[in-house]
Amino acid sequence: MIRKYIALLRMKYIEMLAYRLATFVWMTGAVAQPLITMFVWMNIHPEESESFVFYFMAVIFVERMTSAWDVWELDREIREGTFSNLLLRPLHPIHWAIAENIIYKWLFAVILVPVWVVAAVFWPALLPHMTGSQVVLFLLAVVLGAALRFLLSYSCGLLAFWVTKVAAVYGVIDVISLFLSGRIAPLEMLPPQLREWSEWLLFRYMISFPIEIATGAADGEEVARGFAIAAGWMIVLIAALQWLWKAGIGKNQAVGG
Amino acid sequence: MRRYGRVFREFFRACLVEEMEYRSEFFGNFIASFFGIAVALLTVHIFFYQTDRLGGWTYGEVLVLLGVFNALRGFIDFALRPNMPRLLEHVRRGTLDYVLTKPVDSMFYVSFRHLVFWRLIDVALGLGVIGYGLYVERYVPSAADVCMFLIVMAASLLLIYSLWMMLMTTSFWVVRIDDLSFIFDSFFDTARFPGSMYRGAVRFVITYVLPAVLITNTPALALLGKWSVPAALAALAVAIFFLWLARRFWRFALRFYTGAGG
Repeated sequence: MIRKYIALLRMKYIEMLAYRLATFVWMTGAVAQPLITMFVWMNIHPEESESFVFYFMAVIFVERMTSAWDVWELDREIREGTFSNLLLRPLHPIHWAIAENIIYKWLFAVILVPVWVVAAVFWPALLPHMTGSQVVLFLLAVVLGAALRFLLSYSCGLLAFWVTKVAAVYGVIDVISLFLSGRIAPLEMLPPQLREWSEWLLFRYMISFPIEIATGAADGEEVARGFAIAAGWMIVLIAALQWLWKAGIGKNQAVGG
Repeated sequence: MRRYGRVFREFFRACLVEEMEYRSEFFGNFIASFFGIAVALLTVHIFFYQTDRLGGWTYGEVLVLLGVFNALRGFIDFALRPNMPRLLEHVRRGTLDYVLTKPVDSMFYVSFRHLVFWRLIDVALGLGVIGYGLYVERYVPSAADVCMFLIVMAASLLLIYSLWMMLMTTSFWVVRIDDLSFIFDSFFDTARFPGSMYRGAVRFVITYVLPAVLITNTPALALLGKWSVPAALAALAVAIFFLWLARRFWRFALRFYTGAGG
């Protein structure tokens, strides 16, 4: 299995290099919205400007590290019938997607972390104040967030076996997550009801939760509870994905090819 | 000029016929537009949950601004966005030859040939939000306000068209990227909020260099009765200047077009 993965990773790495410019554009694509939101919050609470700068820069970073695109890929592949190519290979198609995710996110980290370090030299607001255990928990939370988003995106993508407008379904989910994952506002700024919702839904654990650990907004008991809820969602999503996969393969007719 | 009116009407008719083929899509698109504006309203609502002023603008005023923004974006999605990928295709495959040999202006043709009608829903919803904002603000615009609004709105449309056209023209050099529109979107998204909200260099750039703020803020202010004749004239002048610039750029770019592959 490890040897297979090394081969997969190498293949995806070469694929990525072939489309350098597209990769780069794609990486910088989602920056405008968090920056604008940052300006809004700096305007509303000028006295806390520095913490908003840190928060929204972290949003950009974590969002990139946990982003998931598999729903669009699956939607296209299943609709056009090219998904059959993957099905014929002797390894579950999800491994290709996982390898691709690992490679791209590794590249994002390799580029974004040095950028952050250089930026922190010029803007002290970006300097993180984290203890060792916070760093470990932060990284763990990012990986967990990436896994959650990937599973959600992949499960949604599998819906393409039944419906043709999967991208639209995922678009709606994405908009809900915009509010509940902390991209529009730090979750503590939300009205109380929304905040309560955000705690129990999975979106918080995709972006906001790692940042809360990094800034120290969540600590001790709260972190433990967060990980427990996220792990619960993880189990739910894995079960859903397995079920969708079994049912979907039975349904698949591979028109087109 | 009359000929162009007739040609445009013909584009209009052709695209309408095309769209009528997919009538069942209409309902889905309608819901999507509604959803979009609901999200935008909720966002503003969340901001105003923490404050009662955003860059000096009240809730109602920001809603008027949001309405203007939505209407203008609806216009972009209606007339301009559908044409961007087509120009890239034309340049890449050399089929721009056919456009250049037609007896209409090529810039006019490549920017208005394809229209997506259902996007006009966004324009209508934008106008609705403007109305709601005015109601929240308890302000009834006078005839002069509306007149001013129409003038600066026309200037904004010209400006958007020019900026978009300039971006589209770069496709003569960067044919690789599928869609350049996200560059425009990133920049235009800043116009969703009052310009006075931004700080430092960002504020300078989006006010003077790429006048995103001018595009949405001036019409909103005009409708709220906070217009001034010099500001409106300045907006018109800037719009005409950018149109001239876009025109020059298009001509310049055409010289680089070799028609290879056609």
